[in-house]
Amino acid sequence: MTAIRRLGGWAVRVGVLVAVFLTAQPPNRLVAQDSQFGIRGLGTPGKWESVRARTTGGAFAPFDPFSPMTDAALADVRRMSASMASGTSWRTIDASGATSSLRATRFPALVIAGPVSSRIVVGGGFGTYLDRTYGIIVHDTIDLRGQPQAVTDEITNDGAVSDVRLAVAARLGKRLALGFGLHRLTGSSRIIATRTFSDTANYRTSTARDEVAYGGNGASASLLFDVTHDLRVGGWFRSDSKLRADVGGVTKAENDLPLTYGTGIQWRAGAQATLAGTVTWRTWSSAGDSASHDTFNWSFGAEIGRPSSPFRFGVRGGDMPFGFGKAPTEVGYSAGLGRQFSGGRGRLDIGIERLDRSGTGLKERVWTFLLGLTVRP
Amino acid sequence: MTRRLAYLFLFVAAACGEQSTAPGDCPNFCPGGSIDVHDTIFTSIIERDTAFRGYVQGFRAQAMAVVHLPGIVESRAVIATDTMIRRVTPKVGDTTTVPIGIDSTRVKFVIVRRPKNTTNVRLFLYKLPLPVDSTSDFASLDPAFSAPPVDSMNVSALLARAAIGDTQTVRLWGDSIRTDSAGHVLQINTDSSLSVFFRLDTVQAPFSVPDTGRLAFGVTVAADSLPSISLGTTATVGLGPVVRFFYHYTIPDTVSATPDSIGHNDRTVATRFDGFVFNPATPPDDSNLAVGGVPSARSLLRVAMPRFLHDSIDVVRATLILVPVNAVQGSVSDSFPMRSIPLLTDVGAKSPLSQNTALFASAAIHIGVADTVRVELTNLVRAWSLDTTLVTAFALMQAPEAASYTEIRFYSSRTPAFRPALQVTYVKRFRFGEP
Repeated sequence: MTAIRRLGGWAVRVGVLVAVFLTAQPPNRLVAQDSQFGIRGLGTPGKWESVRARTTGGAFAPFDPFSPMTDAALADVRRMSASMASGTSWRTIDASGATSSLRATRFPALVIAGPVSSRIVVGGGFGTYLDRTYGIIVHDTIDLRGQPQAVTDEITNDGAVSDVRLAVAARLGKRLALGFGLHRLTGSSRIIATRTFSDTANYRTSTARDEVAYGGNGASASLLFDVTHDLRVGGWFRSDSKLRADVGGVTKAENDLPLTYGTGIQWRAGAQATLAGTVTWRTWSSAGDSASHDTFNWSFGAEIGRPSSPFRFGVRGGDMPFGFGKAPTEVGYSAGLGRQFSGGRGRLDIGIERLDRSGTGLKERVWTFLLGLTVRP
Repeated sequence: MTRRLAYLFLFVAAACGEQSTAPGDCPNFCPGGSIDVHDTIFTSIIERDTAFRGYVQGFRAQAMAVVHLPGIVESRAVIATDTMIRRVTPKVGDTTTVPIGIDSTRVKFVIVRRPKNTTNVRLFLYKLPLPVDSTSDFASLDPAFSAPPVDSMNVSALLARAAIGDTQTVRLWGDSIRTDSAGHVLQINTDSSLSVFFRLDTVQAPFSVPDTGRLAFGVTVAADSLPSISLGTTATVGLGPVVRFFYHYTIPDTVSATPDSIGHNDRTVATRFDGFVFNPATPPDDSNLAVGGVPSARSLLRVAMPRFLHDSIDVVRATLILVPVNAVQGSVSDSFPMRSIPLLTDVGAKSPLSQNTALFASAAIHIGVADTVRVELTNLVRAWSLDTTLVTAFALMQAPEAASYTEIRFYSSRTPAFRPALQVTYVKRFRFGEP
């Protein structure tokens, strides 16, 4: 117990420091979940979920104040709090029979919130809007000066589009909470394109590198309504401007971003069980070419046990926005544990998630270990 | 609990390694942008090309070409020594001098290049009339070469002999030697060059007081095939010809009634002149681009770089294409490297050359082959592409210059059908920022 208390003190201090640092400058590595399906499109959409919400399949995200999905949920924050999440993923790709394994560690979300009055809570932080980290290697033979020439192309893209959020939530009466958020989409990616020739005596390696800066704005609104003491429903809506990609101060591309809307329901089935489910729609087809698809995603999850150390599990499914032919699908299973410490001033969440993605010509299997820390200094 | 958390954090820390690169499944799961390679022959960007002659004279060259190809080319090495002393001081501190008498002369040459697979290589040493200098030409010296040689040496036979490496020999010669019954000596140097020594008596190399002991020799070569070698000159330390006189003198006994004693010594005289004469002579310059010859010729080529080669592409290969006017005549073993060296600044014939060896390029010029010559200028064109302050011009020259009769001529921009061209393979700028 003494050790836990000591750890809690450390966790609080470190958590506050990390929160201040990360808030000052969203890192480029702030990405959620890489996927080969996002290479050809704008990227892989991030999951606006804390570790707690993610281990319930995302079903708790609209009702979790530390998931940057809905602003209205911030109304439940009664003290200044911060939460961050990290995830380490092991991804196996099966592309037309060729398999490869990838590994990455990410910090998908950070939320800081605190009440400014008894009814109004202000919060902010950042999450991943689009992940744009990937690397591909392609071997080919081209005809050059009348001779077949073996070449190897390597294109690496390291970065993301982050969603920096400033939100306010207000509780109107005992049953209704409203939330509004302003979003600034920002970020960059470092791209390196290298072509290597097998004939190194005559052909030099060509390397081009540049940094693409992304920019855009968005706004969101949401509400939570307590139908009864145990039953809560929520709805959310978000609209973003075009995503602008600049290279050296020159706009190279502008892409529409989707409208996002969804609804969810949460039921407290007693003191030690909570169930939730959500559905979300996003109009990604406006964002790109024929390989872009509108998406529908659903999730269902539960939290069981004492509030200080619950067990969570969940399942999710739905579409991914980019992929040739039909929209790729994603099915996920997750589970995890939470543990409060320091008298409730801190909470450590761990979880494991399994995702199966399937699209035309490509399958992905992802195991992700999740670690989240929430502190209330 | 603490231990479990520690394990947890260690696990996460260990997993933080990044591996995000996988084989691409294109085009469905590859970026929209691709790396496009283009190859273009720029036929008109080389302009204001011209040849200049006179950079290195034959008597300043690093080597003397000795070739015997009747009907094609005949090249002969010639050397002249400086004056030789005629009197010596027999005793240290004495003010009186005594005359010397020459006993023999040893003439050394270093064969810096020879065809390794040629048999029965023979050197012939001729006594030449004085003076021999830079005004001497093939015709003026030809009568002397028509006379019988004063000595000859079979280099192949000497090489075939066993090396003599006893301690006394090594002490005197510095290394093992090979010798024949005529007293010729051959040493194999560490750089595979051969030092050959002719031993001449006073009949073969008479000491002429009116000529102040100066001597002049010529060298020709013969072999079963490819009779072509190069001899080192004084332009390269340690490789030049050396003439050494061995002499005696009388030491008068002015104290007792004993007979005078005889002293022996030797002296190396400086080489006053070394060079080579050849026939046919280098033809006069014309509108083509000459490289090589004696005196040496260089060709300056200026490149009008298109703007897009400067800022929107990445050059991966650049090749200069030159069309020879005709094949270089001579022995096939006389193939030579042609170097391309960028100009530091372009002031015409006297343009200083860059010292940046990374931008140098080279191509082999083969004798008897009239094929198109290609010089890889990739590093140079890449440098031009990245640095617009660089002078986009370069010189073509023989290496080493003026050391051979060989010269190649290329068509210049004045001959549109065969003008120099630059073939550039480049990668277009990757389309960053587009999904």
